[in-house]
This record gives sequence, C-alpha cells and structure tokens, in this order.
Amino acid sequence: MVRVILDVKPRKNPFLPVEAECLVPKNFVDEREPRDLSVWVGNKERRLEEVVTLTREGTATSPEDVELVLRGDTSRFKRVGEYMEAGRITIEGDIGMHCGNLMKGGMIVIHGNADSWLAREMVGGTVRCNGDAHHYCASGYRGEKRGMRGGEVEVMGNAGDFTAEYLTGGSVTIHGNSGDLTGVEMAGGTLIVHGDCSRVCANMTGGTGYVYGMVHHMIPTFRFRETAIIGPEKVKMSVFEGDIANRGKGTLFIKVYKYPL
Amino acid sequence: MLHEDVVCPFCACLCDDLKVETDNGTIVKVDNACDLGNHKFLTDDDHRLKEPIRRTPSGWTSATLQHAIDRTVEILLGADRPLLYGWSGTHGEAQSIGVHMAEVLGGVIDSTTSVCHGPSILAIQEVGHPGCTLGQVKNRADLVVYWGANPIEAHPRHMSRYTTYTDGFFLDRAFKERKVIVVDIRRTQTAEVADEFILIKKGGDYAVLSALRAIVRGKSDMIPATVAGVTKEQLLRIAEMCKKAKFGAFFFGMGITQTQGKYKNIRNAIELVDELNRHTKFTLTPMRGHYNVYGFNEVCTWMTGYPYAVDFCRGMAFYNPGETSAVDILARKECDACLVVASDPAAHFPKDAVRHLGEIPTVQIDPYPNTTTAFCELQIPVAVTGIDAQGTSYRMDGVPIRVKSILNRGYPTDTDILGEIYRRIKEAKRV
Ligand code: SF4
Repeated sequence: MVRVILDVKPRKNPFLPVEAECLVPKNFVDEREPRDLSVWVGNKERRLEEVVTLTREGTATSPEDVELVLRGDTSRFKRVGEYMEAGRITIEGDIGMHCGNLMKGGMIVIHGNADSWLAREMVGGTVRCNGDAHHYCASGYRGEKRGMRGGEVEVMGNAGDFTAEYLTGGSVTIHGNSGDLTGVEMAGGTLIVHGDCSRVCANMTGGTGYVYGMVHHMIPTFRFRETAIIGPEKVKMSVFEGDIANRGKGTLFIKVYKYPL
Repeated sequence: MLHEDVVCPFCACLCDDLKVETDNGTIVKVDNACDLGNHKFLTDDDHRLKEPIRRTPSGWTSATLQHAIDRTVEILLGADRPLLYGWSGTHGEAQSIGVHMAEVLGGVIDSTTSVCHGPSILAIQEVGHPGCTLGQVKNRADLVVYWGANPIEAHPRHMSRYTTYTDGFFLDRAFKERKVIVVDIRRTQTAEVADEFILIKKGGDYAVLSALRAIVRGKSDMIPATVAGVTKEQLLRIAEMCKKAKFGAFFFGMGITQTQGKYKNIRNAIELVDELNRHTKFTLTPMRGHYNVYGFNEVCTWMTGYPYAVDFCRGMAFYNPGETSAVDILARKECDACLVVASDPAAHFPKDAVRHLGEIPTVQIDPYPNTTTAFCELQIPVAVTGIDAQGTSYRMDGVPIRVKSILNRGYPTDTDILGEIYRRIKEAKRV
C-alpha cells in the first residue's frame, strides 16, 4: 500500500481553477512518475509540484494499492479522480467541480463539500461526500442523453438542483434534502432522497425513485398506482408511474407530496 | 439625405424597412421604426462617449487611443484567465475577432446569451429545434402562442410584421383568422390582445407544459383540477386549439428561459411542439433580445463548435454553461481580467459578479457610458453598428441580415479596435 499526501501550497490567486485530472491513483503507483505530471492553473500549465507538496508513505505495485490524500484548499481543484479506475482518493476538505467525472472504479471520499458535477457520467466505483454536493451531482453533461450509468454516489448532506439528471444506472442516495428537478430525465438506476426535494423525476422514462421527505411541486403527469409499505421501517408511500407526458415507465415512491395548484 | 431599407439595430426583429433621413451628419427623421428604434436613432448622438477615458486615482481622464490599446493588450496578455464578455450589440465580423482573440489568449469568451436565451440553446442541444423563419409564420400561422414574452413592449413590431396584425399569403383574412394565445404570470399589454390568456402562477410553466403534453397525447385522467393556477378546462381547451390549428407558431421569451428550471422549461416546450407535430404543423422560435445575440451564437459555433460560454484556457474549446459562463466565472472570482464588448453586464449581473468586475482590470469597448463604465479601468468608444458601422447580424429566427452604416461620425469600428488589439496580441505571442 502507498499513501500519497498532496498538501496544497498557498496560491497568489486562490480562486483560479486548477484542472487536475492527473490526480488519479494509477499515476502514483511508480514513485518516479509524479515528476511528469502537470496541472492547468488558468491558462498556464504547471508541474504538479509547483501546486502541491507530495509525501509518499509506502510502496505499491498496482493502482488498487494507492490512496491519494488531498489536504488544504482544494475547493478550486477540478476533475480530481476523472476516469479513475481503481484505488482510493480521500479529500480532507472541499473539492472543486467535476470530481469523479466518468469514474470507472475505486472510491472517492470527500470530507467537506463537493462543487457541481460531482461524479458526472460515472460508470462504476463509489463516491461518498460527507458534506453537501452542489448542483448536477451524479448528472450528465450538456447535450448528452445519458448521465451516470453505474456505481454508487452517496451524499450525507444536501444536494443541489438537477441532482441525478439523466440517471441511467447505478444508485444515488441523498441523505439530506435535494434541489429542484432532482432526477429529471431519469432513464434507469435508483434514486433515493431521504429529505425533501421538488419536481422530482420530471420527464423520467425509467428507473426507480424514492423520496422519504416531502416532494414540492409534484409533476402533475405522474399516474397514481397504489399505496405501498416500504423498507424495514415500514414507511407508507404513494406509488406513481410516469412521466406520462414523456411516455415514461418509471416508478416513483413518495411519502408526502404537494401539487403546484 | 434619405436612406431606405435601413435595418434597426435594437431588438432581434431586425426590422429592415426603416427610412432614415440624415442632414449634415445628424439623423433628423426616422420612419417605420417603433418607439425603441426611433429612440435609438434619434438620440444616439446625445449619449456617445467622445474619446477613450481611463480611471486615475483622482477620477476619469481622457486617454489617447494608442494608450488605450496598449493598456488593453497589456492587461489581456498579463492575465491567467481573461474573460471576454458581451458581443451581442456588435456585428459578426467583430465577434469573430473576439473568438480568435480568446483562443490565442487562452481565455474564456461568453456573450449575453448566457443571461437571456442560453437555456433555450441548452434545451435545443438536448432535443433539437423545430424552428422556421418569421416569413413562414407571417404567411402560414393561424395560431400564435407567446409564452413568457411581451412583444408589445419588448419587440414592438413583432406582431405587426410577423404575426397578429399582418397579412399572410396563405391566410384569407389573416387579422380575423389568426388566433393568439398568451401565457404569462401577469396580465401584460400583449395579454390584452390575446384570444386566450393563461394566467400562470410564478414558476409553474414546467408543470403546465407537462400537463399540455399529456393532454395532447390523450392522457388527461391524472391531471389535477388546477395546475399552477390554470384550470384543467382551460388546459383542455388550449390543447384543442393547438391541435386544430393549421400552422401553429410558438414564441417564448425570458419569462420562461430565466425562471426556475430554465432550460428544462424550454425542453418541455420543445417536446410539446414535437407532440403537436403528430397532429398538425407547429414551430418554435425564441424571442431573442439584443439585435445580434443570435449572431454571436452562429459565429461562435462555426469557429469553436459551441454557441457561447467557451473556455480556451487549455488551448482547446471547452463548453459548460454554469461553469464557463460569465456570471459564474465572475461570481466565483475565477477570472483575473475582463474585456467587455458591446454590452452592459454591471446593469444586469448579480452583485457578486459585478463586484469582481470592479476588483480586476476591466476594459470596456462600447459607444456609450453605461453602468459597467463605473467598474472599468478604461473605456474605448466605437461606432454604433447600424448607424456609423456596418456588418452582419442575425435575426431571432437565424436569418442573416446586412446592417448598414448611414453616416460617419468619425469613430473607429469594433472591428478596427479589436483587429488592432488582436494583431498586437498575436505579435506578442508570435502566432
Ligand atoms: S421592433 Fe425591434 S427592430 Fe423593429 S423597429 Fe422596433 S426595436 Fe427596431
């Protein structure tokens, strides 16, 4: 096992985005490799060591054995864990946009908050955010027809608008509240919101959604099917199918809902 | 001197039938324009900035054009992430220099699209655009829907040139035959002339559009008695009117693009139009605001593959509105210099975004002093496209129209100034 600690150096302009898709475990298996890694700070390409201090503890023979630990202000570090296939990334603070983009395997744990597009178009692996996730968590990219296709995303806090937009496979669990149009255009997979959200699963064509809190502005084109008792806690939920406006065949379990009358 | 077929450079109707009389370098009379167009032509000279100005610790002072260009080049070359914003109030030729410049600088370029019909473009990228020209609407449409748009006040000649009050080649008695549906959250002036007005609750557009889609599909059993303040009877009636039309034209404005849900509202509207096309012919057109906001989308798409909010920081085009759009970049303090061309962001952007504009070196290229001037280090006045500069513009339906210059007030054009800045940047970067 190797633990690579990346301590962010103070920056003259801490708001400039740092595009750091090189921060994936496979790039840190070999001790010598990080020397060739670079990040983009605004329009300047910089060597990774100009931005972070690297400390290695142990050795590794494959990406599965690598854990990256990001320490310091990483709130503007974008694309960390993009296309990641194995290993683990631990982010001690907040993380910037697109963390875990198109991730295929391994695990990312964020102790702070995650900015928008967390786990965008994820294919496999696990992302856990202990804080809040901003808009478009586990969603698709502009104009794409599919969003997250596999893996698991769990947000312990709240999530923003368009969470799980275009969800096609895998599971997304939000323990707090989720924003407007959560699960919009959902085509597959499972979405679980433990708190409140609004206009959930609008235009969905497939998949299953559960909302254990309140759904505000319930989309009026879901057809009520039955009442069901769900889970070990035996929660009484209304079961809908839809979105009928979109010839949808999704299933939606909702505890409490309110139409926009 | 009388100038005929002059194009009005105010809104995206781009009326091209104006008659403008000039006398000794002054505009003395305008015919055929609406109040907004008249005002633009007749008061233009009263508001022009006469020469470049720069901010000093003791206030504004005039600057030479040479100094202004030198300083702009210096600011842009020194930035790690310059933002080039605006572009909707100038011609396509200047816009194309802007896109080239953003690429060479490694900056971000965005237009006012991102705060008006950007959501329409995002929706079109998801589900396509069942559009047509305004000529088609004029000659064929027997049903016109204005949703979240108030043309009588914002595009005053829209109804008289293209819809309600104009003749149509394929309509016998157009004025009587054409029906108008207006959907809005308040009774606007346009609502007063509607055959059917739908008063919708704020933020209720999406739900109403979904309900209409289901009804048009013949599935209305699950629709509650009211949806966002609209009764089910009215929804059924509207759906019937739409299905019975021979040619329906759907126009939508910022009342639906910039309310909650944004592009999903437009996607829902497009999908309603798509559904209606199983019954009759229906089209959809955004009521674009600035006269050449569509032009920027065209120019930017030819050159980069994306219509606005393009980030060249890594040398290639990356597009992600919400991340690479001007308001987001400014509010998150992610740019360190800004060039504003032909727009007035300080008058429209949220407070955090405007504050950052004042914290970084900002240069404005614009004929008039405006709210953004107060946040700039430097402003360079230029000729006004359609008055003393000519170029290509795109109407709201995507039709390119050559905008004329009718007099010479001695100002350089956007193309002149931007061309020189771009030349200097290329020289410095050896490209
Ligand atoms: S409708 Fe628009 S383009 Fe036509 S005259 Fe009025 S402001 Fe000008």
